[in-house]
Amino acid sequence: MDDLEQLYQTTYTAVVRFLYRKVWDADRAEDLAQEVFVRALAHRPEKPRAWVFAVAANLARDEARAAIRRKRHLTLMTNDPDQAPAPAMAPDDQVERDERLTAVHDALETLTPRDREVLLLWDAGLSYPEIAAQTGLAVGAVGTTLARARKRLVDAYDRQHSKRDHAAHS
Amino acid sequence: MRHIPDEELHAYLDQALSRAQCVEIESHLASCQACQDLRDGIAALRDRTTALLATLAPPRRFPVPLDQLRGLAAARSARRHQLRRAGVWAASLAGAVALGWGANNYFSPPTVRHGPAPLRPAPALASAPAASAPADSGGRSIALRPDSAATVGAPRPSAGTPTPAATVAARPASARAAPVIIEPPRIEVSTATLPPVGSDGGLGGIWRTVSWASARTERGDSVPHLDGLPVVEVQVGQTRPGGNKSIMVVAQQLKSGQVIRTIEGPAADVSELLANRAGASPWPTMEGAGISGGDGAMALRHGDRMLAITAPLSNDSLRAMIRRLNAEMRQK
Repeated sequence: MDDLEQLYQTTYTAVVRFLYRKVWDADRAEDLAQEVFVRALAHRPEKPRAWVFAVAANLARDEARAAIRRKRHLTLMTNDPDQAPAPAMAPDDQVERDERLTAVHDALETLTPRDREVLLLWDAGLSYPEIAAQTGLAVGAVGTTLARARKRLVDAYDRQHSKRDHAAHS
Repeated sequence: MRHIPDEELHAYLDQALSRAQCVEIESHLASCQACQDLRDGIAALRDRTTALLATLAPPRRFPVPLDQLRGLAAARSARRHQLRRAGVWAASLAGAVALGWGANNYFSPPTVRHGPAPLRPAPALASAPAASAPADSGGRSIALRPDSAATVGAPRPSAGTPTPAATVAARPASARAAPVIIEPPRIEVSTATLPPVGSDGGLGGIWRTVSWASARTERGDSVPHLDGLPVVEVQVGQTRPGGNKSIMVVAQQLKSGQVIRTIEGPAADVSELLANRAGASPWPTMEGAGISGGDGAMALRHGDRMLAITAPLSNDSLRAMIRRLNAEMRQK
């Protein structure tokens, strides 16, 4: 098993998740992730993990620009007939889950692009030096940025949640 | 006592610090309750962030087999290789064309005519194949009648040019406007020997062979010829009783080796000559001074210019010759 094959097995899901949080479309995230690994197979990069996420970020950026050009508005939750049916869930639970997802999504969108990028790369499993290399930050600044991003994400989510709770009870 | 900054604790929990830094932080944490509380708060924040982000995961699916992606990568690489080869081939071709064009320009400077050709009357102009090529074996006949007055331009050599004759090629008006003056093209006189026109059973009568210079002296600019072809023979026919001009035949050689004859003289003589060559009149309906061609569109009128080409030439050659004549007519 070569390095790329091992990387594919251990990182593919993380790449899809990373892309999904940028394009908010599960199918598109899968397509882009496959494109990333096709390119990796063709280029055989020296540092494949960092390279894969760098290419994924670029593809997601291009995708976002294309989406803006097309004036396409992607929703967080799309009905996907191809995906496996979700386990049966009570209507109240489903509503609550959707609200939570929307709140997290909105909270993530409140972050600055750099904070969001660093947070998503860290969540995808990249090390500080890899995050620093991809974002152009100093390695020492990655911890600072992550600390700020985490706090802002949780604060934003709590604000969203409390706002919804307040609206539900009023 | 210095407490541990937030970002260092984040890095510590993210295992992004060196072993020495970790030892230092752990030593401090063992003796600092505030930093322990801070560490626990950051750990909770970290866990909560991870949990929140985990909710934003796409539906889990099985990834496509890597071999499938390998196939895609191989196909893409092959396509890129093909495109690169095609690009190299196209660049080579363009380079070769450019090189050839440059070399052609370098070794063969363009010729430019020296001014408008003079207008002169032409009684009849016809070109015929070599005597060795039977006119009835694939020969073709074409007749043209211009709308304008019966005049035809003939190339004129530049004044003072000592060459036997100077001719110019038919060129578009834009070429004539070019300011560059190049040495005038010359007609080459070949030493090829041909049977006399009277010996092939076609061109009867008494004929005399003259040099190109003699023909030029005798006829001036009205010596019949096609531009750019080497002259191999000039023959002058017998003047009819009462006529004031004899028929003249100029044989010229094509690049292919085939000989073409251009005949000039009174229309009746030219018609008779062509009719005798083919064993029958090339225009069976021709009578006297005209051709009875149905609606009369082909009827000869006084002053008309007539061109007859009888040669085993392909249609393409005839069309090219007609285009050239048309171009010359437009320049007049």
